[in-house]
Amino acid sequence: MQTIIQRRKRIAFLMVLPLLALFIGLTIYPFAYMIYISFHDYSLVSFEPPQFIGFQNYQNIYSDLTARSSVSFTVFLLAMAVPIEIFLGLGIAFLIRDVFGERVFRGLLLIPMMIPPVVAGIAWKMLYNYEFGPVNYFLSLIGYSKVSWLGNHIFSRLGVVMIDVWQWTPFVFLVLYAGLRSIPQEIVEAGYVDGASGWNAIRHIEIPLIKPLIWVVLIIRSIDALKLFDIVYMVTFGGPGSSTHSYSFYIYKAGVSFGWDIGYASALSILLLLVIALLTNFLIRFLRLKEVLEL
Amino acid sequence: MIKKSMLFVLVILFFVFGSMIAYAATLSVWSSPDNADALFELAKNFMEKNPDIQIEVTPLSWEVLYPRILQDITSGAGSFDVSTWDLMTAGAIAPGFEDLNEYAKNHPDLVDTNFDDDDFIPIAKHVYGYWGEKRIGYPFYGACMFFFYRSDLFNNAELKNKFQTKYGRELTVPATWEEVKQVAEFFTKKFNPESPTEYGITLMFPRTHTLFYMFLNFFGPYRRSPEGIKKFGDVNLDWGDFFTADQKPSFNSEEAVKAIQDMIDLMKYAPDPLGSDYGETLEVFGKGMAAMIPQWTATLASWKDSPDLQPFAEKVKVTVMPGGTPVSGGWGVGINASSKNKEAAFRFIQYATSKEGDKIQWLKYRVGPTRISVVENPEIASDSPWVKEAYIPSLEKASHRPRIPEEPKLEDVFVGTLSEILLGQRPNSVETLNQIAEVWMKTLK
Repeated sequence: MQTIIQRRKRIAFLMVLPLLALFIGLTIYPFAYMIYISFHDYSLVSFEPPQFIGFQNYQNIYSDLTARSSVSFTVFLLAMAVPIEIFLGLGIAFLIRDVFGERVFRGLLLIPMMIPPVVAGIAWKMLYNYEFGPVNYFLSLIGYSKVSWLGNHIFSRLGVVMIDVWQWTPFVFLVLYAGLRSIPQEIVEAGYVDGASGWNAIRHIEIPLIKPLIWVVLIIRSIDALKLFDIVYMVTFGGPGSSTHSYSFYIYKAGVSFGWDIGYASALSILLLLVIALLTNFLIRFLRLKEVLEL
Repeated sequence: MIKKSMLFVLVILFFVFGSMIAYAATLSVWSSPDNADALFELAKNFMEKNPDIQIEVTPLSWEVLYPRILQDITSGAGSFDVSTWDLMTAGAIAPGFEDLNEYAKNHPDLVDTNFDDDDFIPIAKHVYGYWGEKRIGYPFYGACMFFFYRSDLFNNAELKNKFQTKYGRELTVPATWEEVKQVAEFFTKKFNPESPTEYGITLMFPRTHTLFYMFLNFFGPYRRSPEGIKKFGDVNLDWGDFFTADQKPSFNSEEAVKAIQDMIDLMKYAPDPLGSDYGETLEVFGKGMAAMIPQWTATLASWKDSPDLQPFAEKVKVTVMPGGTPVSGGWGVGINASSKNKEAAFRFIQYATSKEGDKIQWLKYRVGPTRISVVENPEIASDSPWVKEAYIPSLEKASHRPRIPEEPKLEDVFVGTLSEILLGQRPNSVETLNQIAEVWMKTLK
């Protein structure tokens, strides 16, 4: 019996081994190398081997004005886009429930989420075109003058937020809609029997029941907002000035696009990872998700 | 059953390896989209004459091509055999590219006897070919920026009269940026409701490498003036106009402040300059909405069939950039030092940069010529007389970006701050430019 169990364990291990090897080779090793290189001065254009410099790269982040402005825009995105997505997603989930044509609306609402972010970026860049873009055209129809979506400090930031909200509200909607649909109807009906009206039922019965899902979506969207890259790359390239330099975009620029400073880019990446890990842990504790998610 | 399986495997292997066996060499050629169309045709012509060589041209966007080249030459992977390279990347890629002079010396049997190396325009031969003493490429794509304008508007008698009345001088094609300001105001509807065009000029000042080279169109006239040469020294072709003769920044100066002010003054006559790049400005001019546009050579091809610019020969003309020192562009083509197909690669790049190749590039794709004989060719002269009149003088007096390895980082630091100045977030002052210079010098240490 023991031999059979050991044999089965061995077979299971052998079957998992290729995937494990891939995981180590493509995830663990690069991650460990990234930590290692973040303590080195290593540039692709110098053709010199990496030089150990301790925490110098991390210290440089603190004095780097562009890094600081990229943090500022990333926080702006987090503060603006994520709450809008949560409210809109939740609102839409309630609105289309049991409405005529619900399935059709559901399908249509998911389309933005299915478009690759790079493609969405190209499309929105055309939509935001100052002279020929439809956004300015429709604004002109309601009496507004053309907006420089890509050339103005404030509008470029709002433009990026709008794209993010357009693309990821459907994700929030999908999760919360599924959550609403999974609420046992007996609980809601019991509330009606006890005198709860439509809005009271929503506020005191349904929303509390899907609160854990709302928090999970909040965490996921927050992490995604902190990592935003593709929309910035395709639409604004961080400009004008440093208005839309997201942190991830700056990592790309430092490591690949202009700096070729792999060591510095690695330090920036480690810092982002630490922030995401801390934020996630904080939110899980603060929102008491540990019990709900059985972590 | 076993025989059938073996037969099946053999058939599969034949299809997989059959195509490889048929060719002595398969060249992987990387190129930016600017050069790709011409390269496809040149590759096709070369393969017809050399059936033992298969060529695969892969266009990669500018933002992707450069990092890919660097990653490949750093790792020695040899993923490409031949690549075009932008002139200001010369210093960074030089260590990973084959020295063509050495290669030719060691393989005299492969040298094309009709190549005529002395036929290259001297400045093109250097900036699209050399890094120091090492020859890392042959000139493939000559380019500098030009000033395109609506000649029908400048020749219109009624408009000329109105301009004369308003400004007290004749409406002529501007030769300085000061003159451009007046003409641009005249052709901008917001400032002149009778203007036939919406905008006087289109400008591209986005926060990308575009802004870096656009700045030189404005700074070059100051840098290269007699006073500028006296103050900053001669321009070194490898360090460019952003540096003095002794390799210190030249742009943290009153001259650069004036150049930036010229840029700021012109912005109100252009549609969304901070949000516009290549494509946006081409479209505005192509639709007849602007009277003038500083742009690259190859843009002619994109406007030639534009309905709003017909008849094209009458409506669009080309002249030297105001100030006389347009920014240089252009590409070389070279061989990866890690290539396993250097012989075939060497044969191909000689053809691609031959007199025949250079002529095809201009006539069909409007890629700037790099050979004197092509510029003086009667067919080219009758097709595009301005090539000899404007192209050569522009190339010879062009202002240059740095070609040193640190160029990408210097460029991004400069562009970030310049973009903020143009946005009005930072003052246009020597102090602000000194901050950039400080970062530059730290980077170069």
